[in-house]
Amino acid sequence: MQNLPFYQVQGSEIELFERAWRNRLPLLIKGPTGCGKTRFVAHMATKLGLPLHTVACHDDLTAADLVGRHLIVDGQTVWTDGPLTRAVREGGICYLDEVVEARKDTTVVLHPLADDRRILPIDRTGELLVAPPSFMLVVSYNPGYQNFLKGMKPSTRQRFISLAFDFPPAAQEEAILVGESGIDAMTAKRLVSIANAFRTLRDHDLEEVASTRLLVYAASLIKDGCEPTLACRAALVETLTDDPETAVALREVIDATFGR
Amino acid sequence: MEEYVGELWHKLVTRVADKQHTEAAVSLDEISKTAAIFFRALGGDPGLNLSAAPATRHGARRRWKERLATSGERVELSWRDGETLRLPEHISIFSERSLNRDLYFWLVALSAVETDNNLPWIQQNQQATLATLARFPGLIARYQRLVAALLPLRVNPENLPTAEAAQEFAIRLALMQPGSVKTLPPSKTPFYPVALWTHPNPPATAGSNISAGDGAPERESSEDANIAKSRRKHAAERTDMPDGKDGFLMMFRAESLFSWTEYINVNRPQDEEDDIESAALAAEDMDSMTVARDGETSVAKLRFDLDLPPAGEDETPLGEGISLPEWDYKKQVMQVDYCRLQEMVSAQTVPCELPAQLRRTARRLRSQFQALAPTRIWLKGQQDGEEIDLDAWVRQEADLLSGVHADSRGLYRAQVNQQRDLACLLLADLSLSTDTYASDHARVIDVIRDSLFLFSEALTATGDQFAMYGFSSLKRGNIRFNLLKSFEEKYDNQTRGRIQAIKPGYYTRMGASIRYASTLLAVQPQRQRLLLLLTDGKPNDLDRYEGRYGIEDTRMALHEARQHGLRPFCVTIDNEANEYLPHLFGASGFAVIRKPEDLPKELPLLYAQMTH
Ligand SMILES: Nc1ncnc2c1ncn2[C@@H]1O[C@H](COP(=O)(O)OP(=O)(O)OP(=O)(O)O)[C@@H](O)[C@H]1O
Ligand SMILES: [Mg+2]
Repeated sequence: MQNLPFYQVQGSEIELFERAWRNRLPLLIKGPTGCGKTRFVAHMATKLGLPLHTVACHDDLTAADLVGRHLIVDGQTVWTDGPLTRAVREGGICYLDEVVEARKDTTVVLHPLADDRRILPIDRTGELLVAPPSFMLVVSYNPGYQNFLKGMKPSTRQRFISLAFDFPPAAQEEAILVGESGIDAMTAKRLVSIANAFRTLRDHDLEEVASTRLLVYAASLIKDGCEPTLACRAALVETLTDDPETAVALREVIDATFGR
Repeated sequence: MEEYVGELWHKLVTRVADKQHTEAAVSLDEISKTAAIFFRALGGDPGLNLSAAPATRHGARRRWKERLATSGERVELSWRDGETLRLPEHISIFSERSLNRDLYFWLVALSAVETDNNLPWIQQNQQATLATLARFPGLIARYQRLVAALLPLRVNPENLPTAEAAQEFAIRLALMQPGSVKTLPPSKTPFYPVALWTHPNPPATAGSNISAGDGAPERESSEDANIAKSRRKHAAERTDMPDGKDGFLMMFRAESLFSWTEYINVNRPQDEEDDIESAALAAEDMDSMTVARDGETSVAKLRFDLDLPPAGEDETPLGEGISLPEWDYKKQVMQVDYCRLQEMVSAQTVPCELPAQLRRTARRLRSQFQALAPTRIWLKGQQDGEEIDLDAWVRQEADLLSGVHADSRGLYRAQVNQQRDLACLLLADLSLSTDTYASDHARVIDVIRDSLFLFSEALTATGDQFAMYGFSSLKRGNIRFNLLKSFEEKYDNQTRGRIQAIKPGYYTRMGASIRYASTLLAVQPQRQRLLLLLTDGKPNDLDRYEGRYGIEDTRMALHEARQHGLRPFCVTIDNEANEYLPHLFGASGFAVIRKPEDLPKELPLLYAQMTH
């Protein structure tokens, strides 16, 4: 178990992940951007000693992108495995990030893998892969505003065990900032207090809220010697809004926290 | 002796009045949007409006107050009630603009904290100060600057008689060492207002009383319209009718030396008789207008009902009425089967063509929107793709064999998907207010009608599934939901006839209509489902459905819609929509059309952007 990525536990997610893996159940993790989903999966993969194949899903992602395709190499067609196929063959974890971004006809290839058949038929080569016990399918998505447009088919969704992530409670988030950037506890506390003030503006004044990731960025800038209010403006305010008046209000919150 | 003190006060108050620094004034208008966001970020109730506080008398002795400059006699302080956060319309206490601005933000921060309402006022303010400074230590320096600047502007306690001096000392101490003062020593003369604190005894406001009461109609909207120019709203206070036994009614609360309110129809205190203005004192000059709840309200109510257009006999009910719930935010409960909604269809529609004046625009829109129609195409010769592009490969191999140097063209085929999988339900507000004129030649309802026509033309071109309904209400038992075009129906002369026939209805009970529309939209199989609300104002109805109650119910209905996987979006022509729509639809969930006459043109474009 080398280089276990730092992961600050929030609840019983580690236990659940392990149980799901042992019982060969696929896992869905939902939560806002930058709240630690990817980090958690990386942590678990290392912890369980499994190879991890990550795919960032998007509109144009096709089934072939997941499963594989024929490529032309030196005048010959050569079959190349996609990340999903590779993970199945190796018995590792395939992690599909932002799975709702993928089109429906793409996600259907997951169906036979995600139920108790655990098989991956590869149409183009006629191969039928049976997933080894250690293979695990993990998908994540961000149930944010725009995703209501897309949503996931119930038949896809109901094949997964689901874990809901959110931004961690203040004390844990402070620990993450200290762990990731090395800043002092007091500064971490203030950063988290700012983030929580901004988070109350979700859906009302801000479309997105400050993620743990952004806080880590701000903390890193401060650790590097950047003046805190400046770091917060760059990492938090300007990233979160383009509206000048909203930006002024956010800066007021920062000033109210770090002083002026 | 009293005369002497009076002189002092006179000097004091005039001096303070003179000391307003107009050149350094900061107005609420300048900072209101920012202040509102700041308030919410600090944990303030997001449902509150922000509004200018009406100036209230700070309680200079009645005997001399008439002699004083009005400006010196009134102060604007901040306070908060169930619906509104009130802040001074201007702050010009300090000679430095930045301090005046800081004071605004300080007051906002202070108002965002919850304090124990049972504590005496002086303790509440100290508690709020401590809580604010603890959570936002960055404000400590600012608070100290404000206090340091404020103290020299206050009356010097050494020049005051004992009781008043004790009071002033207590206030100063509480400002300098928040948390240290338990009580405000009594004195017959009111202390000078404390600009860093909240209003000691804020006037009650109409909204909160109405929602608490039995919901008699208050024509708030018309009152609003009259004073729309100014953010200042009169605080209309509803109190019990004086029974006359007291001769004159105690208009100030017993525990307070402050008199914030006066009755219009009450004997004035004796010591004011010398210089009394007419009884019909301009309402503007009153601290608050008292709406007494005597028989008059019911008369007003009756008249109000008669104002309504006659019930629509030219409409046929479709099916039985539908029971719908409504959210009571005060009790935080969903009231089951609280509303009755009736789907209706206009009985006398004459099928018609698209009105001639819209045809040109419609033609243009159709061709623009055809570009959005679904397509699914294979791109050839791609560098990357799902399939091998056999043609390209054969060509390349042939080129190679014949010795031509083939450039590295793509050898794959990729499918691009421009499939639209979208259903939209448009819900148009057909309330009474749409009867007003939007421009010189068109009423709001006419603008809405044109918008519905052009919207239908555009959507028909895209092939997106759509339905259109109108709604209005007359209390909770009578919500009309007018069918214009269902998802199943085609957009044809019949449906055009219904659009042609729309007319202003009654009130705007948004929640119920949104809930019902959501059920219609939620059963559509499309992946993207858009609930488009077209409106000209806030939710409101004759019963208690107004102010915050209506807003919160609407908000809940929208929340439910999102839970069903629908995407609500609002297009409004209400210029004040920024005050409440973010709370309902989120920062990017609505669009305000400044010029109503632009709505027909803008609506299809907005739709295109939303669904691109
Ligand atoms: N629980 C945690 N432990 C340690 N670090 C964390 C934790 N949560 C968040 N982080 C920090 O936040 C950053 C972002 O987290 P991560 O990339 O896992 O987010 P995510 O949920 O996958 O976001 P997205 O949905 O945008 O992909 C990490 O790089 C890490 O620095
Ligand atoms: Mg991630």
